Amino acid sequence: MRIWIITLVMLYIVTVPAVAGQKKPLTPAQKDKCPVCGMFVAKYPDFVAEIIFRDGSYAVFDGVKDMFKYYFNLQKYNPKKTHEEIDSLYGTDYYDLVLIDGRKAFYVIGSDVYGPMGRELILFRNYSDAREFMRDHKGNAILKFQDITPKTIEGLD
Amino acid sequence: MGWINKQRNILDFALNSLLRRKGKNSALFVVYTGIIFLVSSIIFSSESIKRESQILLENSPEVVVQRTIAGRHDLIPEQYIGQLKSIRGVQEVKGRLWGYYFEPGVQANYTFVVPDEFLYGPGYIVIGNGVSKTFLAGKGDILPFKTLDGSYTSLEVADILSPDSEIVSSDLILLSEYDFRKVTGMQKGFYTDMILKVRNTRELQAITDKIRRILPDTRPITRNEIMRTYEAIFDWRSGILLAVISGAAFAFIIFAWDKATGLSSEEKKEIGILKGIGWETSDVLFMKTWEGLIISLSAFFLGVFFAYIHIYFASAFLFMPVLKGWSVLYPEFRLVPFLDMFQITTIFFLTVAPYTVATIIPSWRAATIDPDSVMRL
Repeated sequence: MRIWIITLVMLYIVTVPAVAGQKKPLTPAQKDKCPVCGMFVAKYPDFVAEIIFRDGSYAVFDGVKDMFKYYFNLQKYNPKKTHEEIDSLYGTDYYDLVLIDGRKAFYVIGSDVYGPMGRELILFRNYSDAREFMRDHKGNAILKFQDITPKTIEGLD
Repeated sequence: MGWINKQRNILDFALNSLLRRKGKNSALFVVYTGIIFLVSSIIFSSESIKRESQILLENSPEVVVQRTIAGRHDLIPEQYIGQLKSIRGVQEVKGRLWGYYFEPGVQANYTFVVPDEFLYGPGYIVIGNGVSKTFLAGKGDILPFKTLDGSYTSLEVADILSPDSEIVSSDLILLSEYDFRKVTGMQKGFYTDMILKVRNTRELQAITDKIRRILPDTRPITRNEIMRTYEAIFDWRSGILLAVISGAAFAFIIFAWDKATGLSSEEKKEIGILKGIGWETSDVLFMKTWEGLIISLSAFFLGVFFAYIHIYFASAFLFMPVLKGWSVLYPEFRLVPFLDMFQITTIFFLTVAPYTVATIIPSWRAATIDPDSVMRL
């Protein structure tokens, strides 16, 4: 019996960190500030984005744009961490207002929907949602996570 | 300490001098209190009606979709649910069943509502307090309802809604979908209207635009529109009230201005004597300020106090008919008391502050004249 428990625990310890993107999204606390712009995040629940590290520490943002600034310049904002230590990224789906996996989301840029930090990337769970949003709100393009570069983000400021 | 003692003496003198001119001052006080009472009654009542309807509407759906034919409200077919659901951003679409029922026996209109989940099933109803009173019906009683074809159907009262939510629920009759369709004759596959749940309110505009495009025979109404309409109505009504009492208000302003600015020669003489026996100009001003403050502050507190009682404990009997309009069935409904510091401060600065200032200026003028020449007046 005891052996089994130990094996299970061992298995858990070995396997869990290996699977990335498993950490559940969290709701930002009242005191949490965006590390990029310094604003309180809880005030803007419709635009919350977050990065969760493997050790459980996290950073929350008042918009995906700031999340990308942080992500592309991790050395500046959080020098102790590396990209490999990032467990998951989340952003808020525009239609449902729930946090969705940022790596799988579709991002619309250039739309007429503004976040607390001005022009934003608006993200969606699926492509058809993004396409319809782009049509309704005069977006320029739909991007996937890997398409987004520091240049895209600069273009939004 | 000395300063406080001095002020106490001046205050004492001011009180005595007010008492010396009892008739004039009490007339002023009564009119003053009356005006403050009226103004704050209006502000209190319209504000709390607005707030109440806001609280009620907060729980209402983001969008209501009605079908209109020739500009009139019409029943909406079930198929529309699918089309509305396909719009991005719409989380949930529900058909609502509700309507009015005229009971000739008691000459009253009741509201039929089919709730989302009716616990009791066909054959039962849940009624509001007002319905229970007019029908003299309690739990377990059976009430007859005339159906569309002229026959009667009997429904048993399963429960009575709690009296807490009197304004909304008093004339309600909750019943099952089956009984509703039976009594009203509304066909299956049709609803009174539809409600939409929208998670991101930023998207409301785009959604209503799409509804108008996809279903041109419908009219989407957003919650904000309903709220704005309510607000406009109440503002308009309290505007009427204000117009009515503005005549009285002007009369008061003239009266107060006259009393406050034109010092009688007797008062001027008094000031002259006071200065003659060694009062300084500042002391005279303090005295006059105290006088003004005593009258206006006590009138203010008394007026606001009476208004509070009038609105929240006496059901605003003086002008509720105007504020609520003709369509109100229940004269006895009480507003939830609430005090907003902003309102109180507004009333304060509109009444007390100008009056006090208006009393000081002429006294200052009188106090700065040479006492000798004043006494000779």
